[in-house]
Amino acid sequence: MTYLVPQHPLQLVELGAERFSRCFNCGNCTAICPITKEKASYPRKLIRYSLLGMEDKILSSTDPWLCYYCGECSDQCPRDANPGSFMMSLRRYLTTKYDWTGFSKLMYYSKKAEVIAIIVVAAIVGSIIYLLHGPIVETRVELETFAPYLTTEIGALTVLFVLAGILLSNLYRMYRFVMRDENGNRIRVPLGFMIRDFIRIVPLHFLTQIKIKECKDRQKNWINHLIIFYGYAASFILFVPLLKFTQTNDPFLFVNPLSILGIFSTIALLYGASIAIYGRVKKTQPMWKDSHSTDWMFLILLLLTTITGILTGIFRTFGFPLPTYIMYSLHLMIAAPFLILEVPFAKWSHLAYRPFALYFESLKERYLASKR
Amino acid sequence: MSYLPKPVLVIGGGIAGIQAALDLADQGIQVYLVEKTPSIGGKMMQLDKTFPTLDCSACILTPKMVAVARHPNIKLLTYSEVIEVTGSAGNFNVKILKKPRYVDEEKCIGCGICFNKCPSKVPDEFNLGMSQRRAIYVPFPQAVPLKATIDKEHCIYFTKQRCRVCEKVCPTKAINYEQKPETIELNVASIVVATGYQLIDPTLAAQYGYGKYQNVYISLEFERLLSSTGPTGGEIVRRSDNKHPKNIAFIQCVCSRDVKINPNCSAFCCMASVKHSILAKEHLPNVDCTIFYMDLRAFGKGYQEFYNRAMREFGVKFMRGKPAKIEEEPETKNLIITYEDTFTGLKKTMTFDMVVLAVGVKPIYPEALKLPLSEDGYVQLKNQYLDPVLTMIDGVYTVGVAAGAKDIPDSVVQSGNAAIKASILAGGAQK
Ligand SMILES: Cc1cc2nc3c(=O)[nH]c(=O)nc-3n(C[C@H](O)[C@H](O)[C@H](O)COP(=O)(O)OP(=O)(O)OC[C@H]3O[C@@H](n4cnc5c(N)ncnc54)[C@H](O)[C@@H]3O)c2cc1C
Ligand code: SF4
Ligand code: SF4
Ligand code: SF4
Ligand code: SF4
Repeated sequence: MTYLVPQHPLQLVELGAERFSRCFNCGNCTAICPITKEKASYPRKLIRYSLLGMEDKILSSTDPWLCYYCGECSDQCPRDANPGSFMMSLRRYLTTKYDWTGFSKLMYYSKKAEVIAIIVVAAIVGSIIYLLHGPIVETRVELETFAPYLTTEIGALTVLFVLAGILLSNLYRMYRFVMRDENGNRIRVPLGFMIRDFIRIVPLHFLTQIKIKECKDRQKNWINHLIIFYGYAASFILFVPLLKFTQTNDPFLFVNPLSILGIFSTIALLYGASIAIYGRVKKTQPMWKDSHSTDWMFLILLLLTTITGILTGIFRTFGFPLPTYIMYSLHLMIAAPFLILEVPFAKWSHLAYRPFALYFESLKERYLASKR
Repeated sequence: MSYLPKPVLVIGGGIAGIQAALDLADQGIQVYLVEKTPSIGGKMMQLDKTFPTLDCSACILTPKMVAVARHPNIKLLTYSEVIEVTGSAGNFNVKILKKPRYVDEEKCIGCGICFNKCPSKVPDEFNLGMSQRRAIYVPFPQAVPLKATIDKEHCIYFTKQRCRVCEKVCPTKAINYEQKPETIELNVASIVVATGYQLIDPTLAAQYGYGKYQNVYISLEFERLLSSTGPTGGEIVRRSDNKHPKNIAFIQCVCSRDVKINPNCSAFCCMASVKHSILAKEHLPNVDCTIFYMDLRAFGKGYQEFYNRAMREFGVKFMRGKPAKIEEEPETKNLIITYEDTFTGLKKTMTFDMVVLAVGVKPIYPEALKLPLSEDGYVQLKNQYLDPVLTMIDGVYTVGVAAGAKDIPDSVVQSGNAAIKASILAGGAQK
């Protein structure tokens, strides 16, 4: 049984698929897409489902996560319906559906709500710093005294666990939506397969994102993705689990391996974010043509987090106590909403959804094979 | 009552212009029929058979062309173009440029001796370059008028100042290298624009590789392959190896219904491809034909039945899906089509020996008239519903594909309508 949700297509329009109702169902997009296989055939079929409001079909599909928006489909669409941006908006849509907290929906459907949420989180972090900071030493830089290690680490770990918790529960919801057969009935796969496929698929694709390379001329994109990803991962490790060693009073030391990692991750983030911002402003690639407010917010917060981090380091190295403390507080106030809001609820959740989509797809295949 | 109607000008000598001229002339009105090429006939002359009855196209057209030539009320001006139009409804002053044929029309008897002897070979437009004509030529054997024309650009005498073979062999001394262009001035009551269409450049749909892959054809080329007067004498053979194809794909809506090239539907190409698939089966009973379409437009009388026959009687396959690309197998020169079967939702490839692109059309207009066009690129009509032949200029009517993509029967109907409108002005001006 399929329920039709009449407002479903309108939601996709809000999420960026402005012209997809022009589609006249010719199948050119499916045929030109470099990554569709005989059976995984999209975008046309998904466009049909969406236009009819067949929400179940969309929710149970992993296909949107296979598309990397190379834009070949949009280039050749005879109706200029922009199927590539439709696929993008489906990913936004699914993100809002997988997320049970409702934050994702709020952020994707209302720019205002997004800005308010960011300000609120920043304000909370600001107040905590104001209330809990240690003594302010003005004669020399005493960052450890200003921001006692234990307090900061507790804060950082809380963020980490909340993040992980939300993401995992969202992934579970994704699993529930996706693991259904043609008729919408739930399907199960033996635990052994689940573990084997997990090990085979998820780490590889999470760490390499190798699928991008199936798109034409996307080598550069793939490298850029990896740069941002590893820059981000490195700084996350440095400043959350390793906070004890990185939040120090010591000036910057080039010999310290942690500092070197820090330099690498900072440069990587600055480079990646600048390329992405430049690309989105100039619309150099199809996937950068339809920027949503969350895409901008993500990049802006990423850039600001990185810049305030660098400035904190500079002030500390040159021994300016007050500017160091203020910059560090700002850094935390920006990093917190960035980590809490943008990562699990908006764009960056795709880092998790993409490899899991491949994983679930392979589980489904196993189920179908066992049926045959 | 002395009733002396003023003349009417018909521009374009395809089926639409021919019909308009005959319908006017039969009412006793003087008609000037201006055609820019050396012969009247238009695209219909190039067709092999017509849907849905599969009549021989030339057989039903040539009697009309001869009737035009013989009609006492029609003055035929071929190889001519309208260069200036002034005035208004009931009173247009028209300047016509008659290009030199370098052959005296009075003397030439169309014997063909000159073009058998002419040493300069040129790709033949009538067969879309698939065969050759000479620099002195008639476009096709049933040409009206049956007079030779020298194509100055390819004539050795005009390019290199030697040869003059045609002059030597012509039995009536009709060759005249000194002929000059002539300007003719007319006063007419009304004008019928029947300038037809041209096929859109198929290389704009680059994904299908026309011009790059030898065995990709456009529909009009296929029409010539089918025709016994065509370059292969009616044999369907591949450009690459002169062999009969075992299977043929027809791709619909090439350069039509595509916002980036031409958003309009070209109206007759669905039926033309159905016709081609049937004719291909008649020529080669074992050939497999597949038509890739998005929507099949079988709108006219007997067209749905024609389509049903293709499917049931001839076993033509219909595949719903717009192919995304064609690739060529380098050794065999076979063509691999990638498409989605939109009925099953499966993405597939299929290999064909030959592919025919049903390429779309765009209208042509005489520049001298400066006709206002509408958004779709066709001439703007004053009242599309109740007066669909009247342009924005009073007294100027339009018919045939120039007025909007259509087939032959619809063109003929429209010509009758325009002839009546044009005749009202022609008679009325004498009151
Ligand atoms: C492959 C193919 C198959 C087809 N098969 C069929 C079929 O089976 N049945 C059917 O009903 N229809 C068929 N058609 C459609 C058919 O060709 C048209 O409906 C018909 O030819 C329209 O006639 P027309 O007089 O409007 O245009 P045309 O035939 O294009 O005639 C226009 C004439 O005007 C002349 N001209 C152009 N500009 C000027 C100018 N400025 N001054 C003077 N003269 C000018 C041209 O030289 C030409 O002679 C087919 C078309 C194609 C492409
Ligand atoms: S190519 Fe465009 S019109 Fe055709 S199915 Fe895809 S989106 Fe629809
Ligand atoms: S954007 Fe590229 S990958 Fe995505 S559906 Fe279109 S063609 Fe396929
Ligand atoms: S003079 Fe020109 S047209 Fe005549 S035979 Fe020579 S090349 Fe041909
Ligand atoms: S007539 Fe058929 S093939 Fe031609 S443009 Fe229209 S739909 Fe396409």
